[in-house]
Amino acid sequence: MKEQFEIESNSNILFVTDQCNNHCVMCCQPPKQKDDFDYYFKKNVALIKSAPKETKVVCITGGEPTLAGDKIIELVRIVREELPDTDIQILSNGRSFRDYDFAHQLKDVGGEKIFVGVPLHSDYVGDHDKIAGSKGAFNETMLGLYNLADEGIATELRVVINKINYQRLPQMAEYIFKNLYFVSWVALMGMEDTGYATKNTNHIWVEPKDYTSQLCKAVDILDGWGIPVAIFNIPLCLLSPEYHHFAAQSISDWKTKYLEICNDCLLKEKCCGLFATSQKTYLGLKPFTQNV
Amino acid sequence: MKKYALLPFNFTRLSGKEVLINELGDMLISPIGTVQKIVDHTLDDEDLYKTLVANSFISEELLPTLLDIYASRLRLKKSFLDDRAALHIFVLTLRCNQNCVYCQASSREEGSAHCSMTFDMMEASVKLMFRSTSQHLTMEFQGGEPSLEPKLIKFGIEKAEEINQTECRNLSYVLCTNCRSLSDELLELCRQYHVLISTSLDGPSYIHNKNRGREDSYEKTMAGICKAREVLGNDAVSALMTTSELALGYPKEIVDEYVQDGFTDIFLRALNPYGLATENENWDLYNERFVEFYKTALDYIIEINKQGTFFREVYAAIILRKMLTPYTTGFVDLQSPAGTVNSVLIYNYDGYVYASDESRMLAENGDHTFRLGRISDKYEEIVYGEKVRKIGKVWANEALAGCSDCPVKAYCGADPVRHHSTQGDMYGFRPSSFVCKKNKAIIEHLISLIIEREDEVMPIFRSWLR
Repeated sequence: MKEQFEIESNSNILFVTDQCNNHCVMCCQPPKQKDDFDYYFKKNVALIKSAPKETKVVCITGGEPTLAGDKIIELVRIVREELPDTDIQILSNGRSFRDYDFAHQLKDVGGEKIFVGVPLHSDYVGDHDKIAGSKGAFNETMLGLYNLADEGIATELRVVINKINYQRLPQMAEYIFKNLYFVSWVALMGMEDTGYATKNTNHIWVEPKDYTSQLCKAVDILDGWGIPVAIFNIPLCLLSPEYHHFAAQSISDWKTKYLEICNDCLLKEKCCGLFATSQKTYLGLKPFTQNV
Repeated sequence: MKKYALLPFNFTRLSGKEVLINELGDMLISPIGTVQKIVDHTLDDEDLYKTLVANSFISEELLPTLLDIYASRLRLKKSFLDDRAALHIFVLTLRCNQNCVYCQASSREEGSAHCSMTFDMMEASVKLMFRSTSQHLTMEFQGGEPSLEPKLIKFGIEKAEEINQTECRNLSYVLCTNCRSLSDELLELCRQYHVLISTSLDGPSYIHNKNRGREDSYEKTMAGICKAREVLGNDAVSALMTTSELALGYPKEIVDEYVQDGFTDIFLRALNPYGLATENENWDLYNERFVEFYKTALDYIIEINKQGTFFREVYAAIILRKMLTPYTTGFVDLQSPAGTVNSVLIYNYDGYVYASDESRMLAENGDHTFRLGRISDKYEEIVYGEKVRKIGKVWANEALAGCSDCPVKAYCGADPVRHHSTQGDMYGFRPSSFVCKKNKAIIEHLISLIIEREDEVMPIFRSWLR
């Protein structure tokens, strides 16, 4: 996390809290039960006030930032006031937005240039709740997504691929098109191997090379239906070339790393690389030494 | 597997699979025996169980928390009802310059008198149209051959534009013409008001000319299409075909004709039992042959798409949109509640308002069952009148014997007008209904294609619906 904002950076972060009402099995940043709302609020306000007006995007995250309740609404209000042209991205599990009025308050203070990134772990309630580590999470997230859509707030779905959910990725893609047809885009993401992910590795780790067929089928379905879809955190060498244009440079600039072998790769510049924070590197990495 | 409750769905067996379809039209292809296992609570395939829960066929809660999402999606499926009628058909005249063998509108000679709309009727009709609360209003000019009445078209459009100064609706215009007599003035009017041209093209010249009863019909139509495209742009000209008995033998040739002429879609339409078309001797046989014709043509169209050319069959696309997407269609013939009155109103040259295009065709044979009132009557008397109240009792297939328990009802529609004309009864008897047989055969064929050739057809079907 930076102490000052940079105009072009994709990681101008307002960290709201370490607390969370989900306990995701692959969480890279395990929650803490400490009342930290005031501490971070003061810090964030200072960051916003000192930020360049041309800042492109700020990301409000946690923990689960909406647990701060009125404070996050106030925070968004201050960002909007101080940085009127900046996009506001909120990373939330969406559960708090099951409250229709809370979604409305966010829209009220945030205006048009705001979007919420929400993780969805499965089309099946049982699997989602298992991955989120909280019973009732799926239903609340779904209701939250509908309320956000009703307010006209753009939503991004984030699917972190793991051993529990990878086999249903194609079914999930169809589910998203039918039931969450209003989302602005969908990101299918490789897992960061740190925090709970490392602790639970036996239950949840799956190598990208073992799920690319389900991943690509899900991409075909979403893309076929006209829903913008992106692949996050999977190096290009693990994807067949016809899927390269879906892959994004998705890892925050401060935590991207490349391996020794990547130096020989012709596509290094376009590749997301790997998480510097991950314990494992993926199996099957192989530099492109010829043009594709 | 957890304890679960059943949610409403129907099912059928096709191509060695059990096809489950819920009230939203969401379809699930599963192994034979799945429904029995659901009912007996003996499901043993965990992945199938998850899919059933995710797609609202069963629920792990007796009163599902997300039932309101189901309700919200049902509302989206029925959103064609939100706005009242958007399609307004103006039958300007019965006069025509062709003699089509299957004419569905009982057209008269070009020089006939007393079969055109008056300017007063046009003005009253346009005013009625604006009584519909729909934000989108489409004025469709039909006949006979409406291009024989260019002054009436101009008057109608200008009247609508004038009223729209204060109404501010999204107006669009369609001219249904055989393209034989598109004058420069008429095309200029079309250019000015972005009027779309919908023409009839039955296939290659040897089919088109025979159907249309003139030796030069194909040549004239093609010349008209070219001329219209030059003035209005390619996208502004579309064509429809009607499958005569002759056409039944040429599915591929007809598709080829459309591709060669630069069209990106075709609507494979069966003959309707109206007008001259009722003299067709054997409807049973025709229907059977039409379904075979349709399947062959569709297969051929899929091949063309596989070769990399985008080309869509419109009827399939309408059904597939209901089957595979959360959205609905504006197509009036496959709706429940029916498109009659709800989505379309017809202002006829005879001074009366009718419930649908077919309704005014029946009237030419002396059957005024679906005449709703005079153009000069009040809007309320027309759309809430006695006739509409009677039709309204039989226009929702969710509440019709033979439809309510039909597995594919979500993709079909109620058609009181067609049942009245073919069976003498608006309600209709499904076991012998041609409408039912034809629609069911085509819908089931599409499902079978998805079951048997999923990887091949689904990318194509998705591309048709984008």
